[in-house]
Amino acid sequence: METSSLQPKAGPRGKRGARPGRPNYRHIHRHPLPVNVLSVPPVIPHNPLSIISVALSYLTFLISPPRQEVYSAYFDSATSSIHVTDERAIKALWEMGFFGKGTLSRSEPSWLEREKKRRGLLGGSTSEEATRKRRTERRELKLERARVEKVAIEERLKAEAAAKESGDVLPAAEGSTIGEKFSVKKAMEARYRQSRSQTPMNGDVSAPTEPPLTPNGKSVRFSHVVQEKEVVSSSAASLQLPDSVLDEDEAEDAVLENEEHLQISNEEAFFLAYSLGVLQVYDREENKVIPTSSLFPLLCNHSQFPPRTATAELKPDDPFAMSYVVYHHFRSLGWVVRSGVKFGTDYLLYNRGPVFSHAEFAVIILPSYSHSYWSETEERREYTTAQQARSWWWLHCVNRVQAQVKKSLVLCYVEVPPPAASSDDIGALISRYKIREFLLRRWIPNRSRD
Amino acid sequence: MADADEEAIRATTTEAPQIETDLSDETQDFRLLNHLNFLSDTSSASLPRRGEKDFEPNPTEFQADVLSASRGAMHNALAHPRIHHPKTQVVGIYAPDGPTPPPQAMVDEKGLGVSSDYCVCVPVPKGQYFKTIGQADRWNRVWLLPEEAMYLMERGSLDIKWPRELSGIDADDVNEPLIPMSLQAAYACLLGRSGLTLERYTVFTGLRRLGYAVVRASGWDDNAQAEDSKNEINKHAYTEPQQRGPGLAGIIGRCFAWLDDPFGTSSTAAGPIVGCGIHRNYTDVYRKLATIPWYDPAKAETRDPLDTDAPFRVIFHVYKPSTPIKKSAWPTPDFRIAVVNAREQTSIPTLAQIGALLESTPLDPPRGEKMDRLMYMRLRHGYRNVVLAVVDQGVTSFLRISDAAFGKEKLYENKGPPTGPKRGGNFRPKKR
Repeated sequence: METSSLQPKAGPRGKRGARPGRPNYRHIHRHPLPVNVLSVPPVIPHNPLSIISVALSYLTFLISPPRQEVYSAYFDSATSSIHVTDERAIKALWEMGFFGKGTLSRSEPSWLEREKKRRGLLGGSTSEEATRKRRTERRELKLERARVEKVAIEERLKAEAAAKESGDVLPAAEGSTIGEKFSVKKAMEARYRQSRSQTPMNGDVSAPTEPPLTPNGKSVRFSHVVQEKEVVSSSAASLQLPDSVLDEDEAEDAVLENEEHLQISNEEAFFLAYSLGVLQVYDREENKVIPTSSLFPLLCNHSQFPPRTATAELKPDDPFAMSYVVYHHFRSLGWVVRSGVKFGTDYLLYNRGPVFSHAEFAVIILPSYSHSYWSETEERREYTTAQQARSWWWLHCVNRVQAQVKKSLVLCYVEVPPPAASSDDIGALISRYKIREFLLRRWIPNRSRD
Repeated sequence: MADADEEAIRATTTEAPQIETDLSDETQDFRLLNHLNFLSDTSSASLPRRGEKDFEPNPTEFQADVLSASRGAMHNALAHPRIHHPKTQVVGIYAPDGPTPPPQAMVDEKGLGVSSDYCVCVPVPKGQYFKTIGQADRWNRVWLLPEEAMYLMERGSLDIKWPRELSGIDADDVNEPLIPMSLQAAYACLLGRSGLTLERYTVFTGLRRLGYAVVRASGWDDNAQAEDSKNEINKHAYTEPQQRGPGLAGIIGRCFAWLDDPFGTSSTAAGPIVGCGIHRNYTDVYRKLATIPWYDPAKAETRDPLDTDAPFRVIFHVYKPSTPIKKSAWPTPDFRIAVVNAREQTSIPTLAQIGALLESTPLDPPRGEKMDRLMYMRLRHGYRNVVLAVVDQGVTSFLRISDAAFGKEKLYENKGPPTGPKRGGNFRPKKR
């Protein structure tokens, strides 16, 4: 919100060390939802003054109610997607509740910042750059490991050839294998310590300097190339002081247009518009606000491709209706719900938000047709069986992927109601669905013995 | 020579595809078998540990030596003579028609005290297996279920003999030795008896070999049905969307609602649910948003284990090796297992099937200091749990399913974001 909140604050010293400080996310993302909240003084029954102050604050609300910001987005029917282009709205929706995704970024719309940095206008680094850097380092270390292993094999071969010529017998193949296993993890650790001892702390001399030691006390050698690169990158990082962030914003904006906008998923848009009332969705062609009552059928019709015609009757097991119900359920419990498509699931659940912690749960939505309506005719029974069918292989695949990325798989069954008489009352419509969650994980008998 | 070898190294390192390593494959370095003294000394309890493994061949003699040493160790271990001492031999007699009384004894109205599923009789039981296997009758003979007899036979701990009547020996000639049953004959005779499918046997014998005690549960018989079948989902276990009741509380509630939203902008029909007014705190906003009914496992009634659909019903009770067991009074099982043949039941369970399965297990809410502290752990543990053994052509995948009540954990009531560093991904050293 304010510019001061963008100023990165150095993390606790000793934990983060010489890294450029991370922004103060606790402050930036202090609002979990984009709605206004005003604290009212507490009522203390035995203190009449407190009642007066509460009454006064209510009175001021009544006389001049503070405005709730309403953001706008447009619906593009050709791609069935919803976009936010207003700079201020993008920032607000991302910071308060992590809605949407930058169209040119991994998640947070950071294209402009990255572009500025690329042109050397800004210091610091974005998360995309950090990831890229980490991946390069990892790849280098793996190459290094391969090289070390190859050298060890060559040495062994030479020794064997020499032994054959002289007729000696080499030590038997008992015990240790060739050389020492090169551990990428240990090397990363050593490299981290090394970079810390080489880079001067920002204005802090008391930091302890230590040789690059692995926990076992063995030093790990790097090739010259890697070590030189390390020095360059770490000194460059220390030169780019985070103080210079964003002071000539206006001057740059004139040159550099922001090419990026925020795309919000249809569920997110409907949640913002219908549940929170902080979003107006415009039809792109007619340039008119779509009222919430017709937004729901519109998004339902666009939940498949090609979209159904507007006159088509709403199906109770419409994919949008079901995924919205699940989205609303987890949002209403305080989770930050984001798409799980990168892990092959429907949703990922974040505690407070992706900048604070990794998602712990991955949600899969499954329909359920337990209502007697669905088993009345043979045709309906066949339809529901087909709708519910998922193979065991599919389940095992999803489950193994989640285990690999350290997430817990949640099977979220949505009880589909029989078709509704009217779809005018959205609240009544969505509260006819029922949700039941199961957690699924592999049970390994070998490790459950005690 | 050296050049050629180097060429070979380059070739192997560049062409060999990256081999995916899965730690659960548990490849063992068989050289460790040489160090074990279990061949000579049975009192030692140490098990072989995993050794290191090279994933790519290289032309060094060193690697070749390691390989041959491994092979040698394995052959050595396999070549060790395994002798069945006549003193410890246990003999069972196949009873094709189920339990029968001993020839001289009279059967009174009390019967044998053994269910008709048992089909192998062990007149002289000895050894540790009978602590958790089999059931004794009134004459101190132990009767075995088909899967128990097969498991012991495959281990080499039991000799099954054909009964006298079937082997054509004179029934009165006590000195004539009985004819032993072959393993093939045992498979033919015992599999398929009293609901024992190959899938169930695979799960039973796999867990048994890992040291668990496994017993049949009441849901073993697919055709057994509960007397009063609910046959529907526990409806009242779902929460109701919030409503303001009549009476004083309702009036006060409405009063406060009016204070929150004096212009009546809040509406669930057309939105916004939370209204356009001013909110005092986010907790109130989240409370208003709670409009979707969710299932509360603590409120659900526990159903009869037989009130479930096969194959989604508990058929095995499993006990950890450490659980003290009394055969006369089985304790509460550590795990409950349902066995599914993935080739017959090709799709994953529907909500009705899996819901009934979980409701047939007792309530096991997360308890303990650790669970109270850690929300993720509470959610992962769940309120009821069951293990599904999905057997696909002999390959068993165990899945633990639990009822997670996300609705019972109001995340918005937690203060502040989660503490602790973002795990995984970026490397960070441990705090010192």
